[in-house]
Amino acid sequence: MPTSLRIALLAAILALASNVAVIGFIHWQTYDESVATLRRQVTDQTYFLADIYQEGGLDALQSAMDDVDADDPQAKAGVLDRRGRPQFGDFAVVQTDLSEGYRSAIVRLQDEGVSREAAVYLHRMRTGQWLISARIAGEGLALRQTLQRSLWIGLALALLLGLACGIIVARYVGRSVRAVATVADRIGSGDFRQRVPVHGTRDPFDALARQINAMLDRINTLMDELSILTDALAHDLRSPVGRIRAAADAALTAPTAERREQLLAGIIQQADSLMRILTTILEIGRSEALTSRKQFAWFDAGELVDELAEMYEPVADDAGAHLVLRRARANLKVNGHRQLLAQALSNLIENAIKYGASGGEIGLGAARKGDRLALTVTDRGPGIPEHNRDEARRRFRRLDTSRSLEGAGLGLALAEAIAHLHGGELLLGDCAPGLSATIEIPADPQPQGKAALAPGRGEEQVHSK
Amino acid sequence: MGRKILLVEDDRETAAYLMRGLGEEGHSVEHVTDGREGLFRASDGSYDLIILDRMLPLLDGLAVLRALRAAEIATPVLILSALASVGDRIEGLECGSDDYLVKPFSFAELTARANALFRRNESRPTADPKITVADLEIDPLSRTVRRSGKKIDLKPREYLLLEYFARNEGKIVTRTMLLEKVWDYHFDPGTNVIDVHVSRLRRKLEEGFERPLLHTVRGAGYRLEG
Repeated sequence: MPTSLRIALLAAILALASNVAVIGFIHWQTYDESVATLRRQVTDQTYFLADIYQEGGLDALQSAMDDVDADDPQAKAGVLDRRGRPQFGDFAVVQTDLSEGYRSAIVRLQDEGVSREAAVYLHRMRTGQWLISARIAGEGLALRQTLQRSLWIGLALALLLGLACGIIVARYVGRSVRAVATVADRIGSGDFRQRVPVHGTRDPFDALARQINAMLDRINTLMDELSILTDALAHDLRSPVGRIRAAADAALTAPTAERREQLLAGIIQQADSLMRILTTILEIGRSEALTSRKQFAWFDAGELVDELAEMYEPVADDAGAHLVLRRARANLKVNGHRQLLAQALSNLIENAIKYGASGGEIGLGAARKGDRLALTVTDRGPGIPEHNRDEARRRFRRLDTSRSLEGAGLGLALAEAIAHLHGGELLLGDCAPGLSATIEIPADPQPQGKAALAPGRGEEQVHSK
Repeated sequence: MGRKILLVEDDRETAAYLMRGLGEEGHSVEHVTDGREGLFRASDGSYDLIILDRMLPLLDGLAVLRALRAAEIATPVLILSALASVGDRIEGLECGSDDYLVKPFSFAELTARANALFRRNESRPTADPKITVADLEIDPLSRTVRRSGKKIDLKPREYLLLEYFARNEGKIVTRTMLLEKVWDYHFDPGTNVIDVHVSRLRRKLEEGFERPLLHTVRGAGYRLEG
């Protein structure tokens, strides 16, 4: 069954059910009350007449019946013989079974030619005759019939209106949902440029459409990145795998044990560097998934920078550069992932040493900017031209086409992913000459736990092309 | 000296490789393939070391570890896992493991770490806190180092590096171990940063002396030995 039809039926059934409930209530109230009144009147009258008969016999009954007739033209009374035939009174015919009590029966009055429905009460007298008392249900019945008729009309109307409402709702919902479904369908078949139309009506459907579009944009960006990544990955992993294979081949046929050992050691080294690349890629993925946030804790970023300076100072020295620490005296406490920030910074420092050592100075700095923290690594090397900086951040894209040095792009991409994890960003700037790379993060990325979970400015900046 | 090791590892090849290697080192290795059996065996606390895979059938490695630590069983645990990210390593260590080794690993790395764990677990008599390796004398209280009576000036980190080497005298210490234990960093910097520090330390230790102390073990790491 199509969804729109189902929605229409559901709306109709709901409308019908509520209408039936209301009508039923009215019916129950009015009908019950009128029937109860009728019954009471007829019963009272019977006992009143029965009393009179008992005290004064038939004559008294006769005159009492006349009185009743005069009092209330609706009220009828009479006496039936043992078999139910009228002996005297107002009735010509009474069609009913002979038993004590109240019921509804068809009667014909003496002075009328037609049978009518009446509420009657039969009371058996000592003589075996039946005292009958009745009320012609004329207006009560008419009222009831009108009521019933209008109830049926009401029900029919309710059904029609419900169906109409249902169809309108179904068409509205259906149209909005179909638009989404059509887009989903096209995307499913591979056309990722499709977007759900937004009408600007600000209703939930529009909000849904906007959210779906935003989601699709994000998916698109990720897919683009992913395809760049897989291409680059395949390309970058080919060469170490190739070298490993060549070395293994050579080791198989190596003339001396020493040469073989040398080749095998080379293979291990290559495999390790492969593993390192894979681990870094994994790390980038993990950082972006934000799951590492549960390992956040407060620590002093100043101490971290001191430690890294001490760690890399001899490495920079060996590369012919001088590592300069520029660390503010301010409070540099930060709520973050110490290990990952250390890794991000060490990546930046290693890049600086690798590409910028020729400039003679590597700078490492930590400073506070309001409620944000800036961890900066600078070098005096050739730097990265501005139009290439976004490119530099892309995983695996190294800027030197010769590819003589390994993995700079990956390091930047990881540093950026870690900055994002902390609700911050990686800023690449010009040191004229040289490159400055700054990890700028809020000192407390999750003050109440969720404010910073919304994508930061940095993220948008990176994902828009 | 042979040790009693419990290996909880569901991958047959890795397990066979480890059992062969550790057996050749003179250790006796019991091998189980799922977490529940591992926890059961480990519960009597009779092992010198538990090598625990992280992803196991029936009960995962971290759950086994938490249960052991909750039962106050202090047997050293070395986690072996393909989960290599920094977050995974930290999580493993925070659960109460003594070391975390990422697959794939070299056997040298594993034995070096296992040896360090055996050593740490032995309670040394503390009457003389000084550590001596050949003619090298290290005083952890004053953090001073002398070789043949001659004082050697070390930077704080160089001292920590040397002390770690000395505490594992004669055993191979890998680069990753140094990074983790001396610097407390659980990522792989990928460059020769450790080598640079070790060679500086070596220069200070060996300058003016004939006999080398700090040896490079190719494909594995370093060893301090007289």
